[in-house]
Parts: sequence; structure tokens; C-alpha cells
Amino acid sequence: MADKLLIGISAQDATVAYWRAKRIVECRTFADNEAGQAGFKEHLAQFPTVPVHIVVDAVEEDYRFETLPHATGSDRADMVNRKLKQHYRNTPYLSAWLLGRDSGKRRDDRYLFSALTNSELIGDWLQAVIARGLPVAGVHLMPMVTAGLLDKLDVKASNLLVVAQHAGGLRLTFFRDRQFRLSRLTRGDSGKAESNTRYFTDEISNTRLYLHALRTMTLDEQLTVALIDRGDALQEAAAGIARDNPSLECVRFGRRDLAGRLGLDEALLEASPYAIYLHLLGLKEPQSNLAPASVTVGYKRYQARRGIYAGCGALAAAVAIWSGTNLYNAWMLRGDIEDAGRRTAQLSSEYREITRQFPRAPTTAEKLKKAVEIGQRLQETTHSPQKMMALVGRALDASPSIIVREFGWKYGTTEISTEGARAPATSAAPAPVAATSTGPALSRKESALIEGEVRPFRGDYRSAIAAINGFAGRLAAQPEVAEVQVVKLPLNVNPALSLSGNTLDNPEQSSSTADFKLLLVFKPSI
Amino acid sequence: MNRSDLQALRNPLLALLAVLVAGTLAIYTTDRQMEAARQQLLQQQAQLKQAQVRLQKSGDEKDIIVRYLDRYRQLESTGFIGEEQRINWLDGLRLANQQADLFGVDYQIGVQKPYPFAAEFNPGQLALNQSLMQLRFRLLHEGDLLRFFDVLARQGAGVFTVDQCLLRRIDTRGVIRFQPNVSADCELSWITAKIGTGPEQKKP
Repeated sequence: MADKLLIGISAQDATVAYWRAKRIVECRTFADNEAGQAGFKEHLAQFPTVPVHIVVDAVEEDYRFETLPHATGSDRADMVNRKLKQHYRNTPYLSAWLLGRDSGKRRDDRYLFSALTNSELIGDWLQAVIARGLPVAGVHLMPMVTAGLLDKLDVKASNLLVVAQHAGGLRLTFFRDRQFRLSRLTRGDSGKAESNTRYFTDEISNTRLYLHALRTMTLDEQLTVALIDRGDALQEAAAGIARDNPSLECVRFGRRDLAGRLGLDEALLEASPYAIYLHLLGLKEPQSNLAPASVTVGYKRYQARRGIYAGCGALAAAVAIWSGTNLYNAWMLRGDIEDAGRRTAQLSSEYREITRQFPRAPTTAEKLKKAVEIGQRLQETTHSPQKMMALVGRALDASPSIIVREFGWKYGTTEISTEGARAPATSAAPAPVAATSTGPALSRKESALIEGEVRPFRGDYRSAIAAINGFAGRLAAQPEVAEVQVVKLPLNVNPALSLSGNTLDNPEQSSSTADFKLLLVFKPSI
Repeated sequence: MNRSDLQALRNPLLALLAVLVAGTLAIYTTDRQMEAARQQLLQQQAQLKQAQVRLQKSGDEKDIIVRYLDRYRQLESTGFIGEEQRINWLDGLRLANQQADLFGVDYQIGVQKPYPFAAEFNPGQLALNQSLMQLRFRLLHEGDLLRFFDVLARQGAGVFTVDQCLLRRIDTRGVIRFQPNVSADCELSWITAKIGTGPEQKKP
């Protein structure tokens, strides 16, 4: 738990306790005079920037229980602020504490409004704290802090009056069903034990009458008085209270008992009556904070700074964990890399040892094999005009009137041009599509263009065409031939074209020839 | 939050910014380191697997080398494997011309290009190239054309394919004597294979 300064202020003095590791480690009291103020300032100077929590024990306090229509958010805040201003015009130290919802049909909100009506009481002390630059976390009234005492005292009573002798007088705080209802600080202390008993009895009786007048409890009701006796000097008073008031149960808590229940040094209890309340304030801060925003602005900044620094710390820790994990993983991976590297080197070494017995090779076995296979396949699958020429030769043997003048041959993805075979050097041979080693395989086939004439002709077109068709038919009958196309005949009898001549011409003396063109295509697999 | 609040929180905010920047940098850097290590491990594991497979197949490898090495050397000497041997081609042409009793051969060799039908052979890391050669020559008769190609192939000048040929009868006006009767225009592809870069197995 963070360090903090706990200050108890009364009309007579101010008690400063330094809270560290869940306990008060130092406690000093300064009187409300010039020397005390100077000592107070000097004392504050020795502490680092720690938040300050203030509890005020003063007569000038006021409590009001109010019921307001249920509201939420800004509506509730506006309504509560309006109500506070109505009740307390002259003090900035005021607070509204939502106690709960009413049990009635409207289920209104129940509030406890409280205020320190004399702000001058804490003015000088607070000014010294702010001047020192210490952030003020809150200003609380003593009875609000006393509520924390109930759990520690463990008194099971529905009507409980906590009575304690303070520097400014006797503090009587009444709780009904463990909820604060009323508190009084009476001035005066008789000093003698006998008059002390009378004084305590009278004040308790006055408080009971006051509670009765407020209709908080009746006089017939059983009341338990918790007498805080930090100096072990109120045994007689406790006995006297019980004796004089049969309807009262008085439970005295001595120094040792208090120290044991609160976990507080007996020396601290002896040093200041406010040590108990400062200890309770250190353990748990009550909700009813009287300090206005102008006073707690420093604490808000302090909290924001701490929050940001805490965020920095958390972020740095997360980054450290993340980065550390990454580095650890990288380190582990490097270990795996080294291991794999070692094994690779070992296998390579074994491989090299084995390959010493291999014949010297210019490249890898795979490439060696591939190169040889490709070379062999190229040589085995090479094409030449031989097959086509042999086939044409056989067909010519059966067609003595056919004379071949020109023979064009091509092995490629496209057939040979029928426009007339040209020398390859000057031909615009179609470029194969795939020009890379990874492209798709292109299907190639052999084709030939045969140009010739029918001799002797003698102007007999019918016989010439029959001879050409017979030649073409013989070629087409061969199993390796995919297609034979007569591209050109001596006489074009196509009905789509015009035809002209003279019947008086003597065919025997005509110098015309019976030219033809044949396209011959092999099946791709040939 | 007003200006004085910001002023009061300046140092913590600067610290937060510094932690954010340093944290981002640290995480980015260590992430990169880890990713780099992971990639390196993947590579190393691939090399390890390769080495394992290579070792397992070392017996097969030896068999392949023994089986194919002579033929490989032969193809290398003919000029099919490696750089083009154009001088060998020309020597081969001259010898083929002499042995086939031709009347001289005109030739023209084009620039080397990738072999367009390489995909038919699935060459892998081998690069197949071709150089087109245009030939023009005259023959006594058609049969000399085939004889010329046979002789040229036997010269061992390289690997070639015949792409196209055009044979034309020369008009000799019926005179019968030892003279060219047929002209031929042919296109050949001289094909070479270049061994690509890659892990090589050589005897140390």
C-alpha cells in the first residue's frame, strides 16, 4: 500500500501520522499556535510527495439526512449540488453521501449531507500542506471515520453510542443498525474521576434525550455505549454509567484491548487521541469527502501521474515479456538451426565420402541423365522429307502421266503454305508460339505441297483431272496420310467462278498445260 | 483537462511516449529476429532433407553416372551439350557436300534463340537453344537430298532437325549429263543444350 500522510485537525492542535506498509510509523502533534504551525511546516518538509488525508474533529460540523427523488447521472449531481448549496452557503467543505434507496413506493434516494461549517479551522494547516506541494486526497469529519471502528470493536448492538474523550471535549457518535445517525462534540472535562463519571453520564443522557427529540430512538430502547478508554482511566466512569442507567449497556475498551483490535502500538494510543482515527483513515478512506475540487486538484494530478507511471511500468513489463519471449524463441530456433546445420554437414560429409567412389562427372547425375535423354530423343525423333518423298514416289509409279515440278516439305505446327512453296530463306515461316523451355508442348506434323502437270495433256481436261484425282486418291489411301487436298486443277470448274474459252481452238495444237497443286498432310504422330 | 494539468503531467506523458516508442521498437526488432531465425530454420531443414534424400539416393546416382556418362561425353564432344560449335557445323557441311557429291552448299546461320519446342522434352534446369541454318544447294537427283542429310548427321557435328525443304526441278532441256537437275532450299535447326546452374556433383 502506498505511503500517505494522515492529519487529524482539531481546534486545539493537529496530529500528523506517517503511514507506511499498512501502519502508522510516526506520529507527532502540533499545537494550534505560531510555534506549532512552524513546527508543522518543518515536519512536512521531511516527507516525499505523498498524498495527505485529513480528518477534522470540530464542533462546527453539520449533518442532515435528506430524501430526494431518484435520479441518475448529471440530473442527480445537479440536484444534489443545488441541495448542498441551499443548506451550506458559507463553506466549501461539504459532501453528499448516498446511503441507499427509500423503502417507500417512490423508492427515493436517501442522502447524508455533511459539512464543516467553519473552514477557517483547517485553513492554516491546509495552506501549509498545499504550500509544501503535497496532494490533498480528502478532508473528512471525525464521525465518518469513526464508522470504521464498529467492525474493529465487533459490538453487536442495534443502538450503539461510541464515546471518546478528545482534546476538544467528549465525542459521542450514535449508530443505529451500524449506520451513522448523529454525533456531538461537547466541550469541557472535569478532570476528577468522580466528576468525570457525572460528566460522562450527563452527556450520554443528554444525547439520549436529543435522539429522542429527533425521534431517532426512544428512551425505552436499549442503548449500548462503547467507551473508548485509550488511557485506561475510565473504569470508574464505565461502572458509574452502567450503574446510573439501567437501560444502558456500557462496554469499555481499554488501551491494550484497543491496540489488539486495531493492530496499533499502545505507545501511539498514549501519544494522541487521534491515533485511532488516523489509523482507521489509513486503512480505509470514507466516502464522504468534504474537500472541494480546488483542494483535491493536486491529488487528481498525483493519481494521474501515478496511473501513467503504472501504465508505463505495465507496458514496459509487457514489452519485456514479449521481447523476452521472442528472444527466447529466436535463441531456441538458432539452436535448432545449428543442430540441423550439423546434421546437414554430417550427411554431406557422408555423401562426399560415398561420391569419392563415383566416376568423375561434369554435372549432377540428374542433369547428366536429362541431357543424354534429350539428345537421344532429338536424334531419334528427327524428321526429314524421306517418308513423304517415298510415299509420293510410290503414288507416281502408278500415275505415269503426273509430272512433279516442285516439291515443298515442312515439319512444323502449321501446314505448308498453299500459295506456292517458297525457299525457306525468304519465307515468312510462322514463329512457334511458345519460345521458352517451360511453355506448353506444341504439336507438329509433316506436310507437303506438290506442284506438277499432267503430260501429255492435249487439252483433255476431263482425263487430266481424272489423272490428278486418281493421284490424289492413291496418296489419300496411305494410312499415314491425314489429308490430301487438291489446291489447283487445270480447269477451275467451280460454279462460284466465271469460265471462258473458244470451242474453235484446236486442243491438239494448244500450248496450254494441265497444272495442278496438291496439299499432302501427315498425321501428327508420324 | 486544462493546460496546467497537461503541464503537470508532461513528464509522465513523455515517459509513456518513450516507453511506447522503445517498446514498439523492441517488439518489432525481436519479432524480426525471431522471424529471420524461423526462415533460416526452414531453409536449413530443407537443406537437411535434401542432404538426406541425396544420401539415400547416392547408390542410384552412381548407377546413373556410370550409365550415362559416356553418352554425355559423346554429346558434349559433338557440340550438343555446351556452347554452340558453329565451326564444327561448317566442317560437317563441307564434308557432307564432298561425300554426297553435291555441287556446293550456300549457308546462312541465324542468331541463337531458345528452342521453341523445348517443353516437349521437359528439360528442367537444362536450357535448350536453336540456331536456324538456311541451306541452298543443287542436286543431281532427289535422292541426293536424303543422302546429304544422312552424311551430315554422321559427321557428328551436332544435333539438328530439318524444318522444311523446297525441291525444284531445273530445266535442262532434255540434256542428260552430270549436272544439277534439282535445286534445294532447306531450313535446319541446330539444337544445343546448356547445363543450368545448380548443385553439382563433382568428384573432389
